[in-house]
Amino acid sequence: MTSVPSKLYSDDVSLVVVLLDTNPFFWTASSSLPFSQFLSHVMAFVNSILLLNQLNQVVVIASGYNTCDYIYDSSSDASQLGPENGKMPSLYSNLLQKLEDFMIKDEKLGKDQSQRAIKSSLLSGSMSMALCYIQRVFRSGPFHPQPRILCLQGSPDGPEQYVAVMNAIFSAQRSMVPIDSCYVGAHNSAFLQQASYITGGVYVKPQHLDGLFQYLTTVFATDLHSRSFIQLPRPAGVDFRASCFCHKTTIDMGYICSVCLSIFCNHHKKCSTCGSVFGQAQSDTSSASDLKRKAPET
Amino acid sequence: MPQVRIIAKNFMDMVASLPAMKLDSLYQNAYICEAILRSLPPLAKKYVVQILFFDGPVSGKLLEQWVLDDGVTKHRVAIDRLIQLRIFIEVTDKKRESSYKLNQTFQANLQKHLTNGGVLPRETMAATVKLPSSEDLDTYALEQWECFLLLLISSGQAEKPTSLSSSMMKIFQRGLLSQRDRDAPRLTEGGFQFLLMDTNAQLWYIIREYISNSEERGTDPADLISFLLELSFHVTGEAYNINTLTEIQRNTIKDLAELGLVKLQQGRKESWFIPTKLATNLSVSLTDSSSRKQGYVVVETNFRLYAYSTSKLHCEILRLFSKIEYQLPNLIVGAITKESLYSAFENGITSDQIISFLQQNAHPRVAERLPSVPENVTDQIRLWEADLNRVEITPAHLYDEFPSKDTFEAACDYAREWNGLLWEDSKKMRVVVKAEIHMNMREFLRGQK
Repeated sequence: MTSVPSKLYSDDVSLVVVLLDTNPFFWTASSSLPFSQFLSHVMAFVNSILLLNQLNQVVVIASGYNTCDYIYDSSSDASQLGPENGKMPSLYSNLLQKLEDFMIKDEKLGKDQSQRAIKSSLLSGSMSMALCYIQRVFRSGPFHPQPRILCLQGSPDGPEQYVAVMNAIFSAQRSMVPIDSCYVGAHNSAFLQQASYITGGVYVKPQHLDGLFQYLTTVFATDLHSRSFIQLPRPAGVDFRASCFCHKTTIDMGYICSVCLSIFCNHHKKCSTCGSVFGQAQSDTSSASDLKRKAPET
Repeated sequence: MPQVRIIAKNFMDMVASLPAMKLDSLYQNAYICEAILRSLPPLAKKYVVQILFFDGPVSGKLLEQWVLDDGVTKHRVAIDRLIQLRIFIEVTDKKRESSYKLNQTFQANLQKHLTNGGVLPRETMAATVKLPSSEDLDTYALEQWECFLLLLISSGQAEKPTSLSSSMMKIFQRGLLSQRDRDAPRLTEGGFQFLLMDTNAQLWYIIREYISNSEERGTDPADLISFLLELSFHVTGEAYNINTLTEIQRNTIKDLAELGLVKLQQGRKESWFIPTKLATNLSVSLTDSSSRKQGYVVVETNFRLYAYSTSKLHCEILRLFSKIEYQLPNLIVGAITKESLYSAFENGITSDQIISFLQQNAHPRVAERLPSVPENVTDQIRLWEADLNRVEITPAHLYDEFPSKDTFEAACDYAREWNGLLWEDSKKMRVVVKAEIHMNMREFLRGQK
């Protein structure tokens, strides 16, 4: 277990890892907020984080539907500043270039396995990458900024990623990294609600997407130190529903292995995770008491 | 004990105290807007960014709603600071409710910065120039800086290997050195305290002196401030052509090179300057003065002190308050003794400064421990200091032979009201009051008769 890192920087220096949803299925369907506009909001936000403190650091990770990758890191960016970039500030040129490369790669990977009809983006992958990056920062020495993760997600949750996402959330909780989430899709995201709830981050689903920048700076630009004395949006309700391990569907009620707590949507003879042998399934009338219910918290 | 403490952090106060016209013209420069924004308290920064794209004024009540109840004092501090720096302009409406508006130039500059991203103040020189490696540059900066500090110490010991120009030296002499007619210059109390501060604080102290001195040299302080802040946005280790600077800036750069903030180099045709870490850290250190260097001192519970350092400067600084016993190639060994501390106290160094110096420079091995300096040592340092101030002297006046008990009591009450009663003896009807209320007391007693 990693020890909780000591604070040696002043309190308001932050490292923000932004997880950018680049899922083409979502963005082509989204009419209220085109991707280009979304991106310009995000870039202005990244600029404002970098503006707030010279030591602030921003890392952007793109999560596509087949892969995810780092597309911007402000700490390695400084060396590339120079006249060869022409008039375009390096943040934009670097980020856009990498983003384009990433999208092409993502699409190529998609063609190889076109039979799979997955429409959600790889949140679990980008979260794990963010946590790896943060762990590396923790280990880099006694002086490091205070890290936090910001998920900018639009596409719906992929129930098949349930276990991976939950693992990422718990490891973030353990290393005291809050996960903020800003969900621009149509319905609330249960994954992100849970992520922010468990790690002590903030979950926001903006009402007016035109003013996304204002939401971002008002809520998510707040450093961890200032959060102790600033009003932030409180969770209105968290959807705690889980996905079953066997068919990866989101369920209200299901069977839970009493040994390893794996969740199944129907009765099995043997737990697929730990191998424990279950008893006989009882008839439907009496089995109601065996079913564990996980209801959304109000 | 006279308490002369140098406050090194209030560079921004100096900026704030500039006349309004000057301040407004400073904001024409986007880098200054950026540096000043970064120097603000976190809450103030947040306010600015939050209302950056608002056109009209924002009511103070609305701003206050953003903070929780226990953050109200922080809110006040933030608002005061913003008004002081003329970033917020207060507008009071008919209902006497104040609302705030962002300074327009400031707002426009920051908006531009957010949408276009940061741009460097001036272009770096073409790659034809041979640049020193970043390690070389760091050692260069450190050497220059230590050389300057050593000069301060050793000028007190009357040897003069001066590499600094006399104009610079004169500036520092004002605050830190005192020179009587024929004697060698001596460190003042401020000078001793200065040596124990961390590098960033020292740097800002010098810069502040330099700026407040600039008027005598016929330079506008606002120009200097803007140049220094701009300098901190250059990239460390890159070369910049000196021809892009104005005359004043060129003179300044020469002075700064002596402190190790920039390295000057001369090519065949043109010359250029390379900012070092010291320069680019200038605007970082505006907010926190916490040093981010590796420490080197280990203090043991038996008052012995081990410093893993080869620097002559460190040795001289430790000598200020401890007895250096011997020096190995990479280790200085000393002891904190009563005598060594007394000589430090005589020089005007306080126990708190010594303790915070030891804590800030604690070796990484002990820095993790809490406390990094053993408690018995810190306590003893404080006790020895307290030993010197056992008796407190207050000028006072004694009154006796009061005509009646009532007059005596009235007099005592009166003195208490003025917070000047030091001692009373109700049996013999005698009272001692502070000297500063003697006149009031006399008037009062006359009135009683």
